[in-house]
Amino acid sequence: MVGLLLDCLTTSALLFLVTVGLLIIFGMMRIINFAHGAFITVGAYSSVVAGQYGLSPWLTLILGPLAAGAIGAIAEPLVLRRLYGRQLDTILATWGLALIITQLVTLKFGRGTQPVDSIDLGTVTVLGTPYSSYRLAVIPLVLVLSIAILLILRRTRYGLVGRAVIMDDDLAQTLGVNVKRVRFTSFVLGSAIAGLAGAVLVPMSSVDPNLGLPWLINAFLISLLVGVSTTALAFASLALGSAQVLVGLSFNSVSATLAIPVLAVVLLRLRAHGFVRG
Amino acid sequence: MRGNHRRIGRGVAGSLAMALLLAGCGGGDSATEAGAGAGSGDIVIGVPVGLSGANSVVAPSVVQASELAVDEINKAGGVLGRKIKLKVYDDRSGAEGAAQAFTTAIIKDKVAAIVAMETSSARNAGQPIAAKTNTPYIYTSPYEGAACGANLFLDGPVPVQMVEPSAQYFAEKFQAKTWFLIGSDYAYGRGQLAHVRSVVEAAGGKVVGEEYNPVDASDWSSILQKVRSAKPDAIATATAGGAPNVSFLKQWKQGGFEQPSLNLSLDEGTAETIGAAAEGVYFPSQYFTGIESEKNRAFLEALKAKFGAEAKTPNFLSVPQYYGIHLYALAVEKAGSTTSAAVIKALPTVSFDGPAGPVSMNKQHHAGLNIWLGQADATGKTQITEDFGAVDPGAQCPDLK
Repeated sequence: MVGLLLDCLTTSALLFLVTVGLLIIFGMMRIINFAHGAFITVGAYSSVVAGQYGLSPWLTLILGPLAAGAIGAIAEPLVLRRLYGRQLDTILATWGLALIITQLVTLKFGRGTQPVDSIDLGTVTVLGTPYSSYRLAVIPLVLVLSIAILLILRRTRYGLVGRAVIMDDDLAQTLGVNVKRVRFTSFVLGSAIAGLAGAVLVPMSSVDPNLGLPWLINAFLISLLVGVSTTALAFASLALGSAQVLVGLSFNSVSATLAIPVLAVVLLRLRAHGFVRG
Repeated sequence: MRGNHRRIGRGVAGSLAMALLLAGCGGGDSATEAGAGAGSGDIVIGVPVGLSGANSVVAPSVVQASELAVDEINKAGGVLGRKIKLKVYDDRSGAEGAAQAFTTAIIKDKVAAIVAMETSSARNAGQPIAAKTNTPYIYTSPYEGAACGANLFLDGPVPVQMVEPSAQYFAEKFQAKTWFLIGSDYAYGRGQLAHVRSVVEAAGGKVVGEEYNPVDASDWSSILQKVRSAKPDAIATATAGGAPNVSFLKQWKQGGFEQPSLNLSLDEGTAETIGAAAEGVYFPSQYFTGIESEKNRAFLEALKAKFGAEAKTPNFLSVPQYYGIHLYALAVEKAGSTTSAAVIKALPTVSFDGPAGPVSMNKQHHAGLNIWLGQADATGKTQITEDFGAVDPGAQCPDLK
């Protein structure tokens, strides 16, 4: 029972983590970033590079966001800046970007799964149930991250300007806001958070060029449900993550992987606004 | 567009096969005589292998093993005074590529035989082409069993050879009575675990849970939760190789489980890649680099000498390929000809003694094989913990001798 509860919480935390970067980019830029999965992969591969230089696996948590953020900083002016306001084209462009990044990773490191030294925290016994300490550690990490994002959006000038851009980018521009810069910053921030998610996934998954892909699909569906609200994302992650775990328990893992897509579609049908109020 | 090309490709292959059949009917043995040529020239062996696609990681080691075998045979004077030559084809790890590779090899290049480590779908696509032309085909990968053909020989293990001794070992060493079975949801996973179940139940044990994850899934938490509540004595896993196995092993280790685990999709190379997360996991194989024998030492040295720093670690897929080439050469020598009919008759009667002990495909075109049980240590290195000796493949093709 305790294990089940912890599974729900940790699965939800992971969902939040892989989705929030996508959400920032969607909110600020109206771009559904299909390269999000590739940025997750890049973040995970920072552990491979760290290993090659004999660095501690903990450093991956910094290197991952840095690497993915850097690639985002190159990609935004090169690819996306020309395509704002053309939503269908940006989907195509970011998907192309994903293919390019994935192929570059494959060329550099090969197709196979990579040997990596990953963070090993062992297990901890929670109310008599042994559980992976690392999975548990993801929960506070996500809490800190989400509070940081909320503070940036609510309490900083970037957040204020950013919210102005979300509400009406044309009006913001006429008021003298440098929309270009806001978009650049958002894309880099979103990419970096994807990189962080990738780095966090390393101790739980196989590091290979397709690592990010299955996460992208769930992240995409959830972001459709929550629009641009981080708070709504927290609720949606908790609800859908728990649903996935519970379906897995009562039926089997095959149906559990269907839980999020099916629920997301049903919710959108019944309530087009998803988890957003109004 | 792409679909159209494919369809056209198939049409051409089909008509070529047709043409060859007609030529065969009209001109007696002319088709085989021209290519496999009883007289002079090199004997060409076709090696379709997955240079691209799922098998591309392991393919280089398979090609090296083939080249080493050919070298050894030619250095010893060749076969019937002729040299053996290899021709490697890319089967793209699947059915479509295999159909093309087999058609090119057999019909265009007129190879004398096919010796190939491939996926099962590639074998199923290639075998009809080889069967039509009665080309000897030695399939050298472990596989699900019961693939039968007059021209088809298989020197890799079938599930029962791996599963039966391993499960018995667990029952004796760990008093494993209750088992939890975990697999990827596809033919290999379900097939292997069905064997485990029948072995466990035949020995009076009990399967307390059987769970499958989709092949590409990376999250095992709900299955691990069920293992936690079922409290089995041991687990057996048959996931897809590569990513799902790696993510499972990492999450199993992180979960702090203490049960012994039998992994039917792990191999020495992957264990090394995974490193610490594979610690303690058991897996059976018909070849380990650590086998203590003169022949194995000589084999490892010969690979190093031939390929130097480029030498790939030999493994459970490349070693049967090495045997396959040698077995074919021995059969040609014994038959005194490369004519398909004569070679096919001789193949079940020859035996080759190599790095994993003597192998002969004399059990309904399958081979009794030595099986070992390995265990990965904290550095990812594999230690052999048990030598099961020669294990019989059972009745795979009752219609064949």
